[in-house]
Amino acid sequence: MIRLQRSMIAGLDRPDLATVQAKLQSAIQLEHSTIPLYLYALYSLDPQRNGEICGIIQEVVVEEMLHMILACNVLNAIGGTPGIDTPDFIPTYPGALPGGVESDLFVQLAPFSKTVPDGMSQLDCFIQIEEPEHPLAFKALAAVEEPVTIGQFYAKISQALADLAATDPNLFSATPRHQIGPDLMPEAVVVTDLASARQAIETIVEQGEGTTVSPLAVVGGGYAHYYRFQEIRHGRRLVPVPDAVEPEDRYSYAGAEVPFDPAGVYAVPTSPSAATYPAGSAASVANDTFNYTYTSLLKALHAMVNGAATPDQFNRALGIMMSLKSQARAMMSGLPDPGRLVGPSFEYLPVLPGTRG
Amino acid sequence: MSYLSSLRLHFAGEFQANISTVNNDPGHFHNATFKDSYQTMQTAQAANGWFNPQGDASFRLLGCTVTAAWTAAGPAAPRDPILTYVVADSDGAVPAKLVDLDPEQQLVSEIWGLEVRIADKHGNTVLRGRYVPAAFTDIWDRASGGGGGDVGAGAAYQSVLEDLWWSEAITSPFLLALKQASQASGRLSIKFNVDGLNADFRSPRFMCGRIAGTIGPAAPGEPRHLVVGRHFLAVAMAGGNFFTPVGGLNHFPAVIEPETGRLIADLGNALSTATPGGAINDVGDLQLAVVDPSRPRSDPGAVVPLGTLAPATGSAGYAQVPGWYARTAGVVVMPLSEVQRRWLEHAPLAVTGHASVGIAEAPNGTYLRADTYVYRMSPGESVEIPIRAMQWGRPLAGAAVSVAPDKSQLQPTPAEPPYVEAGPPVATPDDVLAVGPLPRTDADGITTLTLTGRDPGTPRWFNGGRDYGIDGQVYGLRPSFADPALAVPGPQVNQWDFISVLLWSGFAAPEPVTWTIVQPIFQQYANLYPVMLRFLNLADPEQLRENLPLLTLAFSLPVSDPNTMPVTRDLSPAKREAILAWLANPLPGDVAAPAALAASSAPTPRPPAGPGPGAGNPAAKGGKAAAAARRLIVQARNGAQS
Repeated sequence: MIRLQRSMIAGLDRPDLATVQAKLQSAIQLEHSTIPLYLYALYSLDPQRNGEICGIIQEVVVEEMLHMILACNVLNAIGGTPGIDTPDFIPTYPGALPGGVESDLFVQLAPFSKTVPDGMSQLDCFIQIEEPEHPLAFKALAAVEEPVTIGQFYAKISQALADLAATDPNLFSATPRHQIGPDLMPEAVVVTDLASARQAIETIVEQGEGTTVSPLAVVGGGYAHYYRFQEIRHGRRLVPVPDAVEPEDRYSYAGAEVPFDPAGVYAVPTSPSAATYPAGSAASVANDTFNYTYTSLLKALHAMVNGAATPDQFNRALGIMMSLKSQARAMMSGLPDPGRLVGPSFEYLPVLPGTRG
Repeated sequence: MSYLSSLRLHFAGEFQANISTVNNDPGHFHNATFKDSYQTMQTAQAANGWFNPQGDASFRLLGCTVTAAWTAAGPAAPRDPILTYVVADSDGAVPAKLVDLDPEQQLVSEIWGLEVRIADKHGNTVLRGRYVPAAFTDIWDRASGGGGGDVGAGAAYQSVLEDLWWSEAITSPFLLALKQASQASGRLSIKFNVDGLNADFRSPRFMCGRIAGTIGPAAPGEPRHLVVGRHFLAVAMAGGNFFTPVGGLNHFPAVIEPETGRLIADLGNALSTATPGGAINDVGDLQLAVVDPSRPRSDPGAVVPLGTLAPATGSAGYAQVPGWYARTAGVVVMPLSEVQRRWLEHAPLAVTGHASVGIAEAPNGTYLRADTYVYRMSPGESVEIPIRAMQWGRPLAGAAVSVAPDKSQLQPTPAEPPYVEAGPPVATPDDVLAVGPLPRTDADGITTLTLTGRDPGTPRWFNGGRDYGIDGQVYGLRPSFADPALAVPGPQVNQWDFISVLLWSGFAAPEPVTWTIVQPIFQQYANLYPVMLRFLNLADPEQLRENLPLLTLAFSLPVSDPNTMPVTRDLSPAKREAILAWLANPLPGDVAAPAALAASSAPTPRPPAGPGPGAGNPAAKGGKAAAAARRLIVQARNGAQS
């Protein structure tokens, strides 16, 4: 479970509009911050050998993107301006997640690992990120403390929105303002009032954590992220147990195999930065090109959530995501040079430099 | 106006052209005989998928900076911010795509979906424009040493930027002047030269090369891919890969700017280099002269020197000053006196350097070319092709123009290594393209060719027409002056000045569209573009069904969109419709996905054991050089035509 610094909820007890907007901006950054982590692990896997795991991570990433957009929708609905196209929007890896307690979880861009001796594997890290406040342990319950959790963070925002709406009937733009709707992203919620704002926030929390009584997310129907990553850990799909009575007996990791082939992981570096690759090297050129494309994606998303919520703009962003996927798959798997595996560093690069650095 | 204007900027840096090469061999379009090895990197023993089988067709601008800016009054002020700006491609969409017209016409590769930006060094954009798709021309053996084939080639792209967006915050006086000058047309003219492509997959510069270019205002009514001006025409030397000019200088245009009386010439793709993408060769001080048409050429007094167009050495020497090419893109300016301008009003210009170095306009000063010279057509479709006639640099009105089939530059394939089988014939059947009546040129020197296509059938299917193959047929058409007095006499000719047409096969999918109908199309793409395996196996209907929304989107986008599928643009509208119908209702068929490719992951390149396919193997020279070697005219010259 991610524990957030208390400053993440500061001011939400007696909220003003600016504070709530700032917290929603933090939420957008938080939702984005896991995407490079998951993508790095995803593209470090050979899909021919680890297809099931790739599928699980891919589904989670898509929902994280949705969550980021939902937070944008809520912020836009109360007149805010999501800021995505800036260098500091991207977290520094390795490091804490935005707003996270540093001593708690130190995340890094790393190739997928299921277990590591005497340490935390990348899968352990993902599970910890997605761990609900009260995980349904299915016979494997672990005790946890009660600090500021992501769930509490969103609950506070939700309450703050209610408080503000109680005094300001015009808090929400009743006419959809810069909203990404389900026409562009399935399961997206157009926010025009408190109820739809809460629905958007609940979608974020439940897809991430599940509900307190079921691993199923209410929206979308799949399991919450935590349980999907647990499927990888257990090597089996989570399936319902008919006729079970107690909540922790209702599901079991007893479904189809989720095999892991350690030979199907490319040996890319951990937490690379642009400085990892010598200036003018082929690795540096590939990394720069990736980062320029990644920055272009942030710019395209920024435009989309700041007034260009059109199918054309959405498709442009989608196209860039496909280009990122293609580039990452190539550079991490040793194309065109099998002697060179390059991990993308996910850094802000608004100008593509030449090949000589 | 055009980029050859006193008001212009130059930029230089690198380009990336990450084209895929499996489709370099037309025989790879033969689904029935395709092998997995055709998707792997070439080795010393085998051409396989040639030198970049994993290419994704991306065309990018890398590290391009503005190197100089000029106005009619002289160079831009040193403190003009334009001199700190970069020239970049889109920062909000996928990269542009570089696209061949056809495996049997690979010498007009077009850039599609490029956005050109001028931005500050932090990436803040001050100007954006949509690059109108353009094909390269004037490809030649530019590097005199250090690597031949594609690596030693140079070529030029000319186009316009449309849908211009200018920042409200422009502070550059140069850019404000450019904005003002382009207001009437709403367009900018852009030309760049590319050379020094690197084809070594271990190099950081793999699939990158040098680019140097010029941006200036475009005037209303100007052609988009051509300069209305004075065209210096080279004479071909025998041999070489693409084109080797007898006088050492490649074809190039120049204009006499009316407002300033200056001659502005573009030597950017005319000057050879010592090595690929390297320093400009010293071919001597380039002298401009006018040839007195009233005196015989043998008369030394027939050539009247006008002055030095470009010194080779000294403080402005093209072969001496480091960075000269980057700062000029090869554009040189020479003031002309009024008397000189009168001399050359009706007389051909010549440029000479060291002994044996030289190039001249046609003796009668004429020039003729289609503005856009690459077309794709469906049966029953007509295209209108503007052709521009000029003489002494001005539009030539009232000229009669004719158009004749010319397949000499197309590239059918011999049945010899590295090719896996004989490629299908080109330009047959020869009676399916109808040329409409060509009126004499109008006051702007324009006549418009109306070209209508009939169904060519499937002349390029394999195995005697039984096996699915290359769609449609490719043709060449060359315009010329019908009046012998206007035709260019003698050996000066630009072999590249012809129109390339890809005419799709007629195709009517039976209803409903089942997998059986679309399988060959998908299979061919899966075979030719291994990059797609990073997403899915296009030959596997199950994987297609799992990705229907994304595929439907990609096949529905306009062809101008860089995200459109296929990026290669070699899918006819009729087949695209069939694919969309199948994606809307993916019915099964009675064709199974071939097991071989369905099971293969992204292939791992095997490093060549030696310096690439053995000496004498065309694949070792690169895709374009290999294609160029297949041209009918080259085969005839070498006596290899059967």
